[in-house]
Amino acid sequence: MHCKELESVLEAEGLGQLSKDARLHLATCGSCQGLLADFNSITEAAKSLPAEVNPPDRIWISLRAQLEAEGLIKEPVEVSEKASWWESFAAAWKLRAFAAVTAAALVMAAAVYVKHVPENGGSDIAKKQTPVESPRPAQTQLAAVPPVTAVPANTAPTQGSVPSSKTKELAPSPSESASFTLNQAELDVPNMQLAGNSQVDTALRQNLRTLNAFIAECELRVKQNPQDELAREYLYAAYQQKADLLAAMMESGRGDN
Amino acid sequence: MCASSVIPGTTLGATRRIRPISGAATGQLARQRPAQPVALTEAEAIRLAQAGNAAAFEFLYQLHGRRVYALCLRMVGNPADAEDLMQEAFLQLFRKIGTFRGESAFSTWLHRMTVNVVLMRLRKKSLPTDSLEETLEPDAENSAPKRDVGAPDLRLTGAVDRVNLERCIEKLPPGYRTVFVLHDVQGYEHNEIADIMGCSVGNSKSQLHKARTRLRELLQEELRQQAREERKAAKSPTGSLD
Repeated sequence: MHCKELESVLEAEGLGQLSKDARLHLATCGSCQGLLADFNSITEAAKSLPAEVNPPDRIWISLRAQLEAEGLIKEPVEVSEKASWWESFAAAWKLRAFAAVTAAALVMAAAVYVKHVPENGGSDIAKKQTPVESPRPAQTQLAAVPPVTAVPANTAPTQGSVPSSKTKELAPSPSESASFTLNQAELDVPNMQLAGNSQVDTALRQNLRTLNAFIAECELRVKQNPQDELAREYLYAAYQQKADLLAAMMESGRGDN
Repeated sequence: MCASSVIPGTTLGATRRIRPISGAATGQLARQRPAQPVALTEAEAIRLAQAGNAAAFEFLYQLHGRRVYALCLRMVGNPADAEDLMQEAFLQLFRKIGTFRGESAFSTWLHRMTVNVVLMRLRKKSLPTDSLEETLEPDAENSAPKRDVGAPDLRLTGAVDRVNLERCIEKLPPGYRTVFVLHDVQGYEHNEIADIMGCSVGNSKSQLHKARTRLRELLQEELRQQAREERKAAKSPTGSLD
């Protein structure tokens, strides 16, 4: 073996175990002994260099600020104790999964209610119920639509139709809650930066407007004629569609971030 | 075996585990690899960071930051640039953490990003570096061929200290420097370096050999320079006063 060959061996195999030929050459070549000894000195000295060095704390502070500025750190939304229940609920709506599940639950509840109202007429409730001042915002498109539990004043009470214990249900009905929750979620959509001008965003917004108009019409029909089962079914389906649409819009908004 | 080993008295806590080494990545200095507290695994932290959890980001930063900073420091040679590069590397990493699918080790991914950021910066700034070709040319001051290796007066044995070595590492071309730091200082194996650098294992070995050869020349030159200065001081009438 020659010096050049030994160097090739060192290049390919490193400084570990050398072949018998290489060792024989090393035993007789001072130049290559020096080369190997120097390489070993270098690697030993390199091992003494610290592989880890503590960075200054300011790097993390600066990095974290940057991560927050870019929205990469998503801290849980803090809700003050004074916040009303619907503000808390609106904050929770920002989580798409929660939104979808809640919407589904509300729609199901609304559906059950909607399908049972014609049978009991809700007369006792009508007697005892005063208009519930729900904390819906004035600008909400459907805010003026009365709850579907409102019963015409001329409806005669049905004897024993509603147990007295049910008077606790003076709170917003499931249908009203579904409508209100969906409207709240709709208000939150712009907050989620779904203000893009892409074709998808434009189409989603157009769909939402169409759906809102349809819901308003259905609610009006139900208000005028609570016995109209077809209107109730359409209303139920529209709520469901709106929940899905809002979930899609939220997802799109989050994706844009 | 590594995963259950315990190192007492390390800097991040009284008791830490050596991180499990994925695949065949078991470098000779694996004992120096970043460890992790028992409370949270790296995989859990990655998952949480992908969801935007601040504590998970910090955990990953603390887990790998010291190693990344050491790499940046060795690559650029000054703390201010190293800090800047480290922050940039982590920022890029966290921006893309949602795309991490665990196909390679997280540390490999991070080091790849760091190396890219550093090399990009070096290219942009065109920091003064010597090319290998230049070093093979006869030196203007000393016309003796530098490949006159193994001569007794140039032996490095016992003459390589940390200061000399660090100074010479800074003079290596960036590619050589990266491979040398990753292998001989940080203890990565060639297959890991190939992943980080995006090259073949053979290429990594070749680069390391050339880096060591170049370092040897630089260190020998340092010794010659020191010897010249000592002779000059001895001949100078004021030498004894210096």
